[in-house]
Amino acid sequence: MANIAIQRIKREFKEVIKSDEAQKCAINVELVGDDYRELRGEIAGPPDTPYEGATFQLEIKVPETYPFNPPKVKFVTKIWHPNISSVTGAICLDILKDQWAAAMTLRTVLLSLQALLAAAEPDDPQDAVVAKQFKENHSLFLQTAQYWSHVHAGVPKGNSEFAKKVRCLQDMGVGEHQALVALSSCNWDVDRAIEQLFS
Amino acid sequence: MSDEEMEYSDTDYDDYYGNDYEGDMDHMIPMKNDPEYFDVACLTDTEVERLLNESVEQLSNSIQVTPSLAKLLLHMYNWNQVEIVAGYRQDCHRILASAHIKPPTPPQSTTAKDPGGENEGEIICPVCLGTIAPETVGKLTCGHKFCKDCWSMHFEVQIIQGISTGIECMANNCQVLAPEDFVVPLLKHPVLKEKYQQYAFADYVRSHPQLRFCPGPNCNIVVQAKECRAKRVICTACKTQFCFKCGGDYHAPTDCETIKRWLTKCADDSETANYISAHTKDCPKCHLCIEKNGGCNHMQCWKCKHDFCWMCLGCWKTHGSEYYECSRYKENPNIAHESAHAQAREALKKYLHYYERWENHSKSLKLEEETLAKIRARTQNKVMAGTGTWIDWQYLLDAAALLARCRYTLQNTYPFAYYLESGPRKDLFEYQQAQLEAEIENLSWKIERAEMTDRGDLENQMDVVEKRRTTLLTDFLQV
Repeated sequence: MANIAIQRIKREFKEVIKSDEAQKCAINVELVGDDYRELRGEIAGPPDTPYEGATFQLEIKVPETYPFNPPKVKFVTKIWHPNISSVTGAICLDILKDQWAAAMTLRTVLLSLQALLAAAEPDDPQDAVVAKQFKENHSLFLQTAQYWSHVHAGVPKGNSEFAKKVRCLQDMGVGEHQALVALSSCNWDVDRAIEQLFS
Repeated sequence: MSDEEMEYSDTDYDDYYGNDYEGDMDHMIPMKNDPEYFDVACLTDTEVERLLNESVEQLSNSIQVTPSLAKLLLHMYNWNQVEIVAGYRQDCHRILASAHIKPPTPPQSTTAKDPGGENEGEIICPVCLGTIAPETVGKLTCGHKFCKDCWSMHFEVQIIQGISTGIECMANNCQVLAPEDFVVPLLKHPVLKEKYQQYAFADYVRSHPQLRFCPGPNCNIVVQAKECRAKRVICTACKTQFCFKCGGDYHAPTDCETIKRWLTKCADDSETANYISAHTKDCPKCHLCIEKNGGCNHMQCWKCKHDFCWMCLGCWKTHGSEYYECSRYKENPNIAHESAHAQAREALKKYLHYYERWENHSKSLKLEEETLAKIRARTQNKVMAGTGTWIDWQYLLDAAALLARCRYTLQNTYPFAYYLESGPRKDLFEYQQAQLEAEIENLSWKIERAEMTDRGDLENQMDVVEKRRTTLLTDFLQV
């Protein structure tokens, strides 16, 4: 790996760990392996959002040409958000694409992602199903996103009605996450979810 | 190509119509009153560069900026010198900021930016985190300082991605662009310099309203026209025909937006359409299966000798006479009262009516290319057999070229008619379209069966067809 990339990542790694945000447990970063090619990021769900109280794990891959090219970042923790794929965790964010600048750092990336959780851009979606629900049935979107935070990202409380519906599908032999995806994308209509799963 | 050849001399007109044989083309010279007349020049990249450099030099002299900045300004303002000069005289800061040459707000002074007001020798490059000596500092008008090695690396990464005129500063949220004279000296490999120039050249041509790359495969010609209009251009080098405005296939009398909508629709619906329109049809009288092997839509069953129209399967006699109705789609007047299902069926039927005719003429054009080859072979035989000379048979080649041109226009009348609202204008259009179609089929029939003795009749027919075509274009071509 190029010298600049290693130097930068070492420095940015320290910058994140020593930052005020890390002290407040809002962001964090860990090394994966010892060659600085891959890191594990962590962001806390911002307050007053359906992600409040949740912790999201991120996969960060540092390219050879870093910092002239952006790091490749995706969500490892499953999340229900218009700009993040509910299937792959791929992120649609301008600074991770053409708006990247070489002077940006891991800290700015993590903070931008946290800001994205608080302010989604449904008109530039990564996940069209989520974006549709966000625009057309916003209260259901908020409940669904909160329930995903409960199931996947460590939030203690979750909607009991949703839990019942998931269990109902699980009784039919469907996996928990599969049931969650089907119900979420069918606006929690059990009949439609069954139809989608078994057709 | 020399300068003299750039202008349209008489010898260029054959090229103008894409004919690669020599013939008596007098009647095909486009006149200024021809609705399709369009004054264009085909330029090589050296000529284009000269043209662009002239603009750059003019602007650089008139507002006293470096040629490199002038280039950037022209590119950002689509080469509109008048607008730039006027805007620059009024408020030079606004113009430079909106072209991303200067930051929207003036940069802070360097001493305020360096922590603790350290001396100039101790600057840390925010990208590689190394200390940089003052002589290796590089900065744009925004004042963000980086070391020259990082700038080089940044340019290299950007150029590899195909970015040239749009390379921005490396600082967060800074959109200031790096001009050519800043980028090029920092590029380390000659290959990168060449690539940068190549991409920048392409960007300049694309932003120039008077210039278009020829869309022909591997063709390096750039076409120049005084106005950006949806008119036909024929590349003098590769003979590709295209519409100057949209760069797609030429499409008169339909306009650029309509043809785009039509082609998207055809691409989406083609499966259904393909399924419905078969390649063979049965003779309406004796039901013998007939394959269409020529361009003419006037069919004659080889068995029962019944004359009929390939499109509507109606008797040809009613086609040939005063009112040709096959091209006109008859809308169901009671459609508003029908069920949604029936309306959908009617919509599909309407689309298929136009699509089948569009597709059919496209096939006819291809088949008529084969007819041309047959004409050549026939001429050869006739000349060898002593029936006339080459010159006596040239008129047939002219006739075939004219037929192709007219059928091409006819094909493009169908998307136009499909999107035209019902009313007197549509009635008039479809009447003229029907007239043109009838005459084209007549001409096609005559060409396929031409003997030397028919020459007068055929030339008369050519004249009629071309007049019908120009009349239709004069009335409906609005570009």
